[in-house]
Formats: sequence, structure tokens, C-alpha cells
Amino acid sequence: MLKSIILKEWLKTRWYLIFAAIVTIAYSAFLMLRMHRAIDLKGAAHIWEVMLLRDTIFINSLSVLPLLVGLVLALMQFYPEMQRKCLKLTLHLPFSRMQTTLAMLLYGLLALVLCFAMSFILMRLSMQTILPPELIKHVLLSSLPWFTAGIAAYLLGAWVILEPTWKRRIAYILLSALLLRVFFVSDTPEAYNQFMPWLALLTLLCASLSWLSVHRFIDGQQD
Amino acid sequence: MQAEQHKIEQQPKHAENVIECQNLSHRYGKRLIYKDLSFSVPRGRILGLLGKNGTGKTTTINILSGYLAPTAGCCTILGYDVRHMPHTMRRHIGLLIEGHVQYQFMNIEQIERFYAAFYPNQWRRDAYYELMRKLRVAPKQRISRMSCGQRSQVALGLILAQNPQLLVLDDFSLGLDPGYRRLFVDYLREYARAEQRTVFLTSHIIQDMERLIDDCIIMDYGRILVQRPVRDLLSLTRSYTCPAPDRFDLKTLDNLNGIYHPELNRGTLEFTATIPLGQIELLLKQRGLEIDALKSRKINLEDAFIGLTGKY
Repeated sequence: MLKSIILKEWLKTRWYLIFAAIVTIAYSAFLMLRMHRAIDLKGAAHIWEVMLLRDTIFINSLSVLPLLVGLVLALMQFYPEMQRKCLKLTLHLPFSRMQTTLAMLLYGLLALVLCFAMSFILMRLSMQTILPPELIKHVLLSSLPWFTAGIAAYLLGAWVILEPTWKRRIAYILLSALLLRVFFVSDTPEAYNQFMPWLALLTLLCASLSWLSVHRFIDGQQD
Repeated sequence: MQAEQHKIEQQPKHAENVIECQNLSHRYGKRLIYKDLSFSVPRGRILGLLGKNGTGKTTTINILSGYLAPTAGCCTILGYDVRHMPHTMRRHIGLLIEGHVQYQFMNIEQIERFYAAFYPNQWRRDAYYELMRKLRVAPKQRISRMSCGQRSQVALGLILAQNPQLLVLDDFSLGLDPGYRRLFVDYLREYARAEQRTVFLTSHIIQDMERLIDDCIIMDYGRILVQRPVRDLLSLTRSYTCPAPDRFDLKTLDNLNGIYHPELNRGTLEFTATIPLGQIELLLKQRGLEIDALKSRKINLEDAFIGLTGKY
């Protein structure tokens, strides 16, 4: 049964996931290429100095990409469920409703983690030849909140889309925007290092919100 | 031991009535849809819920399918409260959502494979593909690219393959042309009769219902007007006409039990009644009306529905 639910999610999202993976990897590759080019032109010593003294990490433009990838995945995965109340079919299956919701979310989370991990590994491998380990860690740790924001955006997106009433949906959008803002408060590299466990916890807690929306759907809440 | 008991509890309870609703009330905000509605559907019967728009048909279907918490009252299906039914019991309930909604992103092979996994030991793949053969669609054609009629056959095929004990169908004729409606009705009737299945359905097309249902519930705003076998209803209900007496006032016929929606049409008095002619004449006499030429006419289910609920 779980396999069937995963198959359903895959059928909904496969083209988007392939597209999202290509875009994320291609953009990360482009940023790495730019970094390599800068080192070729200005020399490694100069670039390392700039990175250390001016808090530059050369991949700042990546920051909102995971957020967008997460949000669109939520849309691609859960909008078809809400179209003409298709979710009724899913929740009518002879399978625990909570486990069904959880399986759908887990699928999305795993897909996102895989997509982000590929980009992360690509950057790690690409920087290995041009930056010392301390600077690689510095760049990757600085990008971690953006990828976490992507996962939070996915979970919050699912919460909003699964909500059956527009009044609440708008309130949830505002609340989600505020929550996601937390991930982008500071541009300073590694500014979130101390706060990361809390951000991760906040993100994990967002997963339970979708069940609230599903529960309201089952109760027949409507505008 | 506990696990065994759990297993036993999740079997359908063999009650006389597959559906039992007691004192059901529902309101959306301040708007009362109905109050203290009680009805039951015996095993093996096909029951049609008839009512004008806004009388609460979809509300009732939503409550029965567990997607709406009623303001008061409770519903049981196969002996279980629909709000707290073990999830495995849902395998015995086939649900058709208004508009024959199915997963648009799947094709007919994918959707069959998807559902089959949830209904081990009861899934009837052949029943599904038998119906699919009648559709002129490629096996890989996505449901989103099918016509409403084709989608209805896919939805019906999936329910037949599920082989549930109870079928709950919300407005099954919505968007279907006469050919597909007939195909749907004939298939469903044959299946329900052969397998002794219980069906609870709504539709706006009453001619289709007449070919299909055994019993009907006619809903008026806030209450059940009639609940009885269709055959009984049609044998009892007649349309009556007679020339209206001079200076006749329609208010004379207000609150007469068994006489519904009297109307004056170009000097002719028309009404529908569920009581015998002799009783009607007696009632009219009690109201001071001497009518000699009262003509009665047999009517079909649609006329009975309009006669009982009124045109507006």
C-alpha cells in the first residue's frame, strides 16, 4: 500500500522533480564554474582573502532557489489532491489517514533532500580543488539555512495547499512568509551556525501542520 | 489475543441495515440544512436520495462518507460509526465523488494498479477491464484527457473492481450524455442485483433513478418528505386535475395532509396526492369544496418528485 502511495506521488511529481534536479544542479555548477573562473583570473590567494575578509562566499544567488524548489514541489504534489477535492479519494483508501499523509510528506522530503544533496555534493567536490577545507566548510555551512528553508517551504506549502478554506489559507500564507523570513534574516556567512539546530527543529515541527489541514478537510470545513 | 479481537472487530457487522442515520442535524454557520433526520438503508437495496438543490443531498453524502462532522446525530455504516470507523472498513465502501473525480494524472492502467494494492483478496481486475474495453481509449491515455463520459466509466469500473458491500454515489449522472448515463445505470443495476450490493445514490436526473432504484427518500428543505419503495410511491401518488369552482381560493387547500402543491392553471386546479380518491373528496368536502369531475392520472417518478416538492 505504501508502495502504491509512493507511486502515486511519483506520477504527480516525476517531471517536475527531474526539472528541479536539473535546475538546482545546473545552477550550482554555474556558480562553481564562476568561482573557478574567478580563481583563474585573480589567483587563489586573492579569492581566499576576499572570502575571509569581506565575508563573500560567491554562491549568495543560490539562496532562494531551494525555497522556490520546495514551494513548487508542494504545489505540484498537493494541488492535484485539492483539485475537485481529489483528496477525498486518497483519504478514502483503506489505509490509515495519518500514515497516508505522512507517506506523502516523507516522499516529498526525501525527494527534496536528494535534490539538495546532489547540489551540495557537487559544490563540495567542485570546491575541493580550489579551496582549503576550512573555506569549503565555511561556504557549505553558510548555504545550509537556504536548503533548510527549501524543506520548510515545502512543508509550509503543503500545510497551506491542503487547508480547505481560503480564509485560513491566507492566514497560513502570511504566517508561513513570516516563518520563512527567519531563514533569511542575516546575509552574513555562517550567521546561523548556533541557530541551526533550532531551525532544523522548527522545520521538523512544520511537518505536523499538514495533518491539521487534513483533519480540517475530514471535518468538512469550508468557506 | 487482543490482535485477534481487533481483527474480528474490523469485519462488517451483519446488521439488517447497512446504513443507519439517527437524528442527523446539520447547519453551515447559521443556516440550518436539516434537523433530526433519521433513515436507514436495508442490505441489498438501492436507495436514491432525491431533493432540490440545497436540500442537503451532498451534505448527507459527505456525512456518510466521513467528510463532514454533523452538527448532531450519528450515522453508522455496516455497524460502525462513520466518524470512528476502523480504516480497514473503508475497503467495503465504494465512493463515487460528484463529477466522477479520479486521479487525473494517471492513465487507466496506472490507476488500476494503484487501487488494486489496497484491496487484496477482493479486487476484480477483470470487471474493471471489461468496462474499459467499451471505452475507445488507449491504455496509456491519461484520465485528464478523457471525456466526462469516459471518466465516469473509469470511476465505475474501479468501484466494480473494488467489489464493496456498499456503494455511495454522489450525483452519478452529472455531465453524462444519455448514452453514458444509460450504460452507467445498466451496469450498476446489473452488478448490484447480481451481487446483492447496497447502493446509496443521488442524481439530478430522475428518469435514470427510476430505472435503477428500489427505494427513495425525497427531501424537502430541512426534512424528509417521503421515504418508501419507489413501486409503493408510484402506486400511491397521482396527479389530479379538475375545473376550479367559482371564486376558488388556493388557501382553502392549505395544510391538507396527503395533498401537495395545489396550483391554479387557467381555471384548472392541479395537485399531487398520495391518498386515495375517496379520501381526497372527503377532505375537499370538509373544506367546503364540492368537486365532481376530479380526474386522476398515473405519474412517473419525476412527476411525483415535482408534484411532492413543488416546481420552485
